Amino acid sequence: MARYGMVIDLNRCYGCYACAMACKVANRTPPGVFWARVLRGEMGTFPNSVRQALPVLCNQCEEPDCMKVCPTGATYKTDDGIVRVDKDKCIGCAYCVMGCPYGARYKVDDWNSYFPEGLPLSPYEEHTKEFWEQKSGLGVSTKCDFCIDRRAEGKEPACVQACSAKARVFGDLDDPDSEISYLIKTKRGFVLRPEVGTEPKVYYLPPR
Amino acid sequence: MALTNTSKVKEDVWISTCCGQCYCMCGIKVRRQDGVVTEVEGNPDAPTGRGKICVKGLASPQLLYDPYRVNYPLKRTNPQKGIGVDPKFVRISWEEAMDTIVKKMKACQEKDPRGVYFQATTTQASEIRYGVTGFMKAFGTPNYWVSGGGLHCGNGAHFMNGIMHVAWSIIPDFAHCNLPLNFGCSKGHGAGHVAVQNATQAADSRARGSRTITFDPMQSAQASKAYEWVPIRVGTDGAMALGLVNVLLNDLGVWDDEYLKYKTNGPYLIRPSDGRYMRDKETNKPMVWDLVDNCPKVHNDPSVTRVQYEEEAHDVALFGEYDVDGVKCRPGFELLKEHVKKYTPEYVSEITFVPASTIRRIGKEIADNVEIGATVIIETDEGPKKIPKRPIAAHFFRGSQGHVNSGWTCLSIDMINHMVGAADTWGGALGLGAAVGAGYKPTGKPYQIPYPDEDGLLMCKAWVYDHIPYPLRKPKPPTRLDLHDMFPTSIYNAFTIMNPKWFEMLEQFKIPYRPDIMINFGSNSVMTMGNAEIVTENFLKKFNFIFSFQLYITEFEEAVADIILPDTCFLERYTPAVSFPSTFSHPTGEDDWGWTIRQPVIEPMYERRDFNVVMMEICKRLGILHKYYKALNDVTVIRYGGAMSDEYKLCEDGSQEHTWEEVVDRMLKDRFGPEHGLEHVRKKGVFTWPKRKEDVYWKWFNPSRVPVYFEYFIDSGEQITELCKQMDPEKKYINLDWSVFKPLADWYPCPTHTEKNPEFDMHAFYWRAVTQTNSMTQQNPYLDEMSQEDTIVFGIQMHSKTAAEKGIKEGDLVWVENPEGKKIKGWVTLSEGIEPSHLAFAAILGHWGEYMPVAKGKGAFFNDLVMMDEPHTDPLTLNQDICCRVKIYKD
Ligand code: SF4
Ligand code: SF4
Ligand code: SF4
Repeated sequence: MARYGMVIDLNRCYGCYACAMACKVANRTPPGVFWARVLRGEMGTFPNSVRQALPVLCNQCEEPDCMKVCPTGATYKTDDGIVRVDKDKCIGCAYCVMGCPYGARYKVDDWNSYFPEGLPLSPYEEHTKEFWEQKSGLGVSTKCDFCIDRRAEGKEPACVQACSAKARVFGDLDDPDSEISYLIKTKRGFVLRPEVGTEPKVYYLPPR
Repeated sequence: MALTNTSKVKEDVWISTCCGQCYCMCGIKVRRQDGVVTEVEGNPDAPTGRGKICVKGLASPQLLYDPYRVNYPLKRTNPQKGIGVDPKFVRISWEEAMDTIVKKMKACQEKDPRGVYFQATTTQASEIRYGVTGFMKAFGTPNYWVSGGGLHCGNGAHFMNGIMHVAWSIIPDFAHCNLPLNFGCSKGHGAGHVAVQNATQAADSRARGSRTITFDPMQSAQASKAYEWVPIRVGTDGAMALGLVNVLLNDLGVWDDEYLKYKTNGPYLIRPSDGRYMRDKETNKPMVWDLVDNCPKVHNDPSVTRVQYEEEAHDVALFGEYDVDGVKCRPGFELLKEHVKKYTPEYVSEITFVPASTIRRIGKEIADNVEIGATVIIETDEGPKKIPKRPIAAHFFRGSQGHVNSGWTCLSIDMINHMVGAADTWGGALGLGAAVGAGYKPTGKPYQIPYPDEDGLLMCKAWVYDHIPYPLRKPKPPTRLDLHDMFPTSIYNAFTIMNPKWFEMLEQFKIPYRPDIMINFGSNSVMTMGNAEIVTENFLKKFNFIFSFQLYITEFEEAVADIILPDTCFLERYTPAVSFPSTFSHPTGEDDWGWTIRQPVIEPMYERRDFNVVMMEICKRLGILHKYYKALNDVTVIRYGGAMSDEYKLCEDGSQEHTWEEVVDRMLKDRFGPEHGLEHVRKKGVFTWPKRKEDVYWKWFNPSRVPVYFEYFIDSGEQITELCKQMDPEKKYINLDWSVFKPLADWYPCPTHTEKNPEFDMHAFYWRAVTQTNSMTQQNPYLDEMSQEDTIVFGIQMHSKTAAEKGIKEGDLVWVENPEGKKIKGWVTLSEGIEPSHLAFAAILGHWGEYMPVAKGKGAFFNDLVMMDEPHTDPLTLNQDICCRVKIYKD
């Protein structure tokens, strides 16, 4: 069985937001929901300051805190290591939203249009609303699932496919010959906040 | 299919077409599920994009279905016009709209068709270069402008890159360049032409270990990804570049002898009396000094020319004084070398705020990396060929060219490349969208191979505008409403049409007609050009009737449009030729050529109608349809590389009508053969053919040279001075400094650099945010939300220390005011990533229109600070100055 993970090369990434947008469109996420997100930070002082983009998503942790705190067993891990939510079991307590050290979970109580109120929903938003309600659900916890449906169609996760910098690589961490295993080994791969101990499976390569 | 309830889905298809969210023209695949467009992805078959697209293209379903789109023709019922006036639009039928429009157009046609002014958006560049140009020719008006485009983005850059590279822009050969020098240019970092693929190439280049140095007043995407960010004062890139040229030539003694001798006019002999070429008495050709035969030779004498690298030629002089027909002449290169001596690192440092030691060091880095003398072998149609390898490249675009010193700044930056032979060869600066391509072999189209003129200088076959970049037009008494014909270099200008005394000016310059009808295609010129009040009052309100093809009711329609026609967006229409001309939208480097088509993914909704189809209908009703077809045939020949065969020409005698779909089909069959019509290309969305390596690295395969001494500018300067003297002897209306038409580059200051009032202590400029660039993005709620993820997009970026000195805090509401008293409001975002005396604004934000609620009230409207008068105009290119000196204070 594969153990899926991702590598994000911060040297290649130029902070273009295509990954976040592709995720939004592929998963029809409503306003405020970013299963994939690009954070920005500034460090140091002029003229030696650094502006850095940091794309983030659920780390599909080996030891997920979100799963530990889930009282109903709605959060579970698939055989290939993807952390998912069973929306029918989820009671919407949002312990996992608080429990995730990476802020990767989103609970949406009411579906909102992207447009100010007043006009009827567009055919596209009717579609996204229905899609969201059926697949992810309202009043329950939602999160990135490494684009499980796209992968079932033989495609890469949307954020990976969209990245024009080829900064994102998806693959099997257990396969020593996979591109991501190679990159992590040879290019000083690291994870975010290793100290919280959830054993993330999204790795980063240093900016330079 | 991802919907859990799959039984509801009757249809699920992906359609290949071309993105139109901006002018990059990426190939896309669009998913349609049960009649609704739901997803957009890159099309891996299309050489433009190669399967990748940007954040804007991905977000386009929200554009297609935006409930605030214009869906029906609208008519203004309030005769009053202006900013803040309620237009009182009411819905009308297409019939009424067309009747009104055609009646007005007919009257204008009879009176003087030149009264029609076409205004268009750069976003739909493909429509402009084909349909718009065709209509203007057929109707008989020369008046148009691409509001904001050109004067904000490329009047200087396209002009200079055209002269030096037959290209729209320049870009490092990312695949092999080791030292890209980026002068504040977002190419490769999410904006600009070929945005997506340049980003891929730039990322590959970083991964390979190239060391980019970026000069930029702020830590932009390109600066934050660079190996080194050099904070520089806005508008001084030209001085920086001349400083580097000086360090190379005069401190380090580094230049590429072979390149300068055989690929530039550097060895052309210049006579001291008037700075002109010394010409051969018999042939009138410029001459070089043959050091082997020790005599003058005409520039293209076979003994002194080297087309391909491995050819041999006599050595020619770059230095010294030579007697030709009794006149003591010197090579132009030597004059250049002496000329740049004044740009010492210390002098340049004062102008740019960059330490002199940094300038020296970077000059040394260029010298250390350029590998003059190194070669590589490339595989060409004629077998393996040796060409120079020069892995450094200086490039630039809007940021460095949007100034009063636009033209010479562009040229000065590119001079770095030409001094060391790093132009259109392996590893160097390549023309982006260069008009160089031998075409699809079986048909030989589209064919665009440049060639030398009589003086040996580079000329192009196909170009975006009616006038090619070289040779310069001869200034003529004007016929256009912006007096365009008088000016040898520009595409259009603002200082004439924005003049409060525009009509008096037209009188003075003997223009016998006045503006009558404006046709607007997709532009929001109230916001895209400069101060909104000036644009509206001085220019737009001078038209008697304005009709507009538009997606939204923008500030433009609100202020001045009489009729709005609901246009289709790019997902609802055909476009016959998306690349403008055929090579322009292509990435550089070794990939195939492609001709991407745009086809509708869904039928136009509501009463939206395709601009192209409506224009055809207008032509028909005006009785000029056959002329329109003829004009389109002519445009195809000029812009899309080669004559049309009779079989596929659009009917010119009035006996036949074509659907727009048929126009696409004929274009494809004519360019690529009868078997490659629309039905064939539809499936993949693109027709591709191999690119020759000698079309990528064309420098040492082409017999032309490029100027390093701009001898012909002297003539142009004299001609324009003379013409102005004749037509406006008292300089009542035109008082630009034509002395900048001279053979050698200089940096001269913008008003920003000479402001005396100490109150105005900050430099303000705007930059291109990847979510809000080259398009009408701000009403798209996906892009709006994404923009809020980056605090510097909607905020006014200010250095923390400067802000503290002024008692300004993060999030403060402030006024920013220019010396002319124009002011704008916005919120401050503090940052360390900006030169402390600067304020940075992302894009042109701050919509106030009632009908774009997502865009309304977000960010600051920088353009309101932009003055469009003579002091803010580059005399050389008529480019607009878009930096300004300002003061900032709390609300
Ligand atoms: S798409 Fe790629 S380059 Fe763009 S922000 Fe995401 S990871 Fe970075
Ligand atoms: S990142 Fe958060 S949501 Fe994702 S698996 Fe880890 S703990 Fe759970
Ligand atoms: S770069 Fe332009 S053409 Fe390409 S995907 Fe983005 S918006 Fe579309």
